[in-house]
Amino acid sequence: MTLPARRLQRDLHALDELLRNGQVRRAPAFLPRAPRAIPTGVPALDAALGGGLARGQLHEIVGPAGAGGTALVRAALASATQAGESCALIDPGNAFDPAPCGIDLERLLWVRPHDPVQALRAAEIALEARFALVALDLGDVTVLPPPRQPRGVIQVVRFEKKPPSPGASPWARLSRRAEKHGGALLLLARAAQAGTFAAATIELERVRAQWEGPKGAAGRILRGAHVVSAVTRHKRMPPSAPLPLHLPLEPK
Amino acid sequence: MKIACLHVPELSLVAALRAEPQLCAEPLAVVQAGRDLGGRAHVLGATPAAQGVEVGQMLAEARAICPRLLAREASPERERAVAQAAREAAAAVSPRVEEAGPGLVYLDASGLESLIGDDRAVARAVVAAAERVGVRAAVGLASSKSVARLAAQAASADLTLEATTSGVGGGAFRVVPPDEQREFLAGLPLFALELPDELQESLRRFGLHSLGEVASLPPGPLAARLGPEAALLSRLARGEDASALTARPEPDRFEEGEELEWDASSIEPLLFVWKALLDRLAQRLLARGLMARELLLGLRLADGSWDERALDLAAPTREVAALLQLLRLSVESRPPPAGVRAIRLSAVTTREVLEQMPLFGARGASPTQLAAAVARLSALVGPERVGRPVAPDRWAPFAAGSGKFAPPPPPGVPIPAPVEVSLAARALRPPRTADVRCDASGTPLLVIGEGALGGRVVASAGPWRTVAEWWTEAPVALDAYDLELAGGLLIRAACELGTGTWRIEAVYD
Repeated sequence: MTLPARRLQRDLHALDELLRNGQVRRAPAFLPRAPRAIPTGVPALDAALGGGLARGQLHEIVGPAGAGGTALVRAALASATQAGESCALIDPGNAFDPAPCGIDLERLLWVRPHDPVQALRAAEIALEARFALVALDLGDVTVLPPPRQPRGVIQVVRFEKKPPSPGASPWARLSRRAEKHGGALLLLARAAQAGTFAAATIELERVRAQWEGPKGAAGRILRGAHVVSAVTRHKRMPPSAPLPLHLPLEPK
Repeated sequence: MKIACLHVPELSLVAALRAEPQLCAEPLAVVQAGRDLGGRAHVLGATPAAQGVEVGQMLAEARAICPRLLAREASPERERAVAQAAREAAAAVSPRVEEAGPGLVYLDASGLESLIGDDRAVARAVVAAAERVGVRAAVGLASSKSVARLAAQAASADLTLEATTSGVGGGAFRVVPPDEQREFLAGLPLFALELPDELQESLRRFGLHSLGEVASLPPGPLAARLGPEAALLSRLARGEDASALTARPEPDRFEEGEELEWDASSIEPLLFVWKALLDRLAQRLLARGLMARELLLGLRLADGSWDERALDLAAPTREVAALLQLLRLSVESRPPPAGVRAIRLSAVTTREVLEQMPLFGARGASPTQLAAAVARLSALVGPERVGRPVAPDRWAPFAAGSGKFAPPPPPGVPIPAPVEVSLAARALRPPRTADVRCDASGTPLLVIGEGALGGRVVASAGPWRTVAEWWTEAPVALDAYDLELAGGLLIRAACELGTGTWRIEAVYD
């Protein structure tokens, strides 16, 4: 129905009245299309993840060193920064190599915490700042609870720093932060850490290295590595079949 | 011409209550600073609850009159901050501001009616601006500086004391329109002006007690009898003041300070005081639409010396939590050599970064949020460990540095580009030393390293020789190898040419 403009001018409460009577209903709020997921750089893996790394979710990459976890993290950072989005890399191991790799370094904030507890807090801060993708690289460290203080001991602190504490459940807190602020959190670890708080878990396995040239010859070079990836757990998608990947190595 | 005068009467009292607004309703007296004065300290100001206590009394006398009296020493640091806050409050209303003294500011109110409203609305806006920065002020508005000052003085009688979230409220104002000016001045007593004692006594002997009586006398004979000061007084009494307002540029530093009643020798009491100072500083910056791009911390030590340090912020911010963390980090990393007696915080300001929100799609990080996040992260891990990754122009393998993080604005329509996934190197910083056994031709056979970084070599490639940076203090001369260990781990190892020491520089992942 249409409401005469003159009547609206005369009585601004008319619309409220019609809304109360149910004669006029509110249209659903204008919802823009769900924001595009962040591609991982591997089309098959993106398909298994339902389009890529969903925003507002925690994703976990689990695999041994050499299985390509760092390669996947860098590819996701490259894809997000090339799309013009700001990303953060929380790197407590100080392992990031800024050699050209497709990442727009202007859009990447590199944070090098001193310990895993600081790393978790830094990831939380980055998510609160609405970075599109926050990569938490725990490839070289493990999150361990701090040693307990014996009871009855009064600690006198002067200007020294207090030891940090990881808190009760960092993954629950981080996944809530990701959901609240709409950023994707990508966790790289050697063993599963986030458990059910991760929306998806990508597992990686080493297969073999690819060498070129005869063994012992002078011109022999490392060409890359073959690995297998699989989405072993996803909140909305079935687990994927093993996806073989070839990771070439750019000569350094 | 319209001039407004912002006056902060009882500056010491307002400064003390701005730091402790909860004492507004308590019997409180602010006394002369000086620990050795004791009960001989003079009262500089008192709250209305301290009945019978007056300015100029000795503290012992005031305590005898009001036994529940609380006493606070006057603090020059707090008073400086109040005076500066009053100036900023005036600058928030008018761009032309003159600070005539501590807590006495003139502002040009001409042309503000189209922005704010009539004269009363302008005066009210000045009072409100002062209260936003925690200062109770009396405001006068008239057609000249001297009349505006007298109007502010007249408004002082209507002041009250109210605790607000940012300090003290209860300001008042008085507007003197040009047609009421003569009448207003005529009713004012002569002691409302700060006249020399000699002139005041002479006027009293002549039987002159109000400005109206002085204005009724011819100025020539008055000046001939009592001198040039009397001529000036005569012009003032008739509202003839031609002194112009001399606007001065706004200072780029905002200061807050506090004097402690004891020597602080641990971080906790300092944190407590910093929090209050930063809260007030952030409030003032917010009122002026500014952010801090640098924070200066001054600590006056027990021996009277100043320990001064500058905290260069990674990005402009006014977030109290982040700034507090940075202060804490600074003092923890370099503790002051003695107990702290006074604190001064100065913020070097810059304009607030305005952000344009996107109409469609997800809302990304705004420059302000990024700046605040960088400041918070810097406070958490140290400013040298936060920034944009930079590959330095060096030959050293896997060298990395960090620069200032200032991402360019996102493109209007992002074009997704295909990304290639390739094996990445995880740098080991510093490189791990290892014992490597080689065969006769120098090919590595066994790596004995820490943790998982060891094992039999199943495949290798190399060496690739790098001799560089010999012109620096850290020359690079090494043979590098790519090695595949028995467990499947791929590493980059290097042998230093000079010493023969092996080190593992990176792991491929």
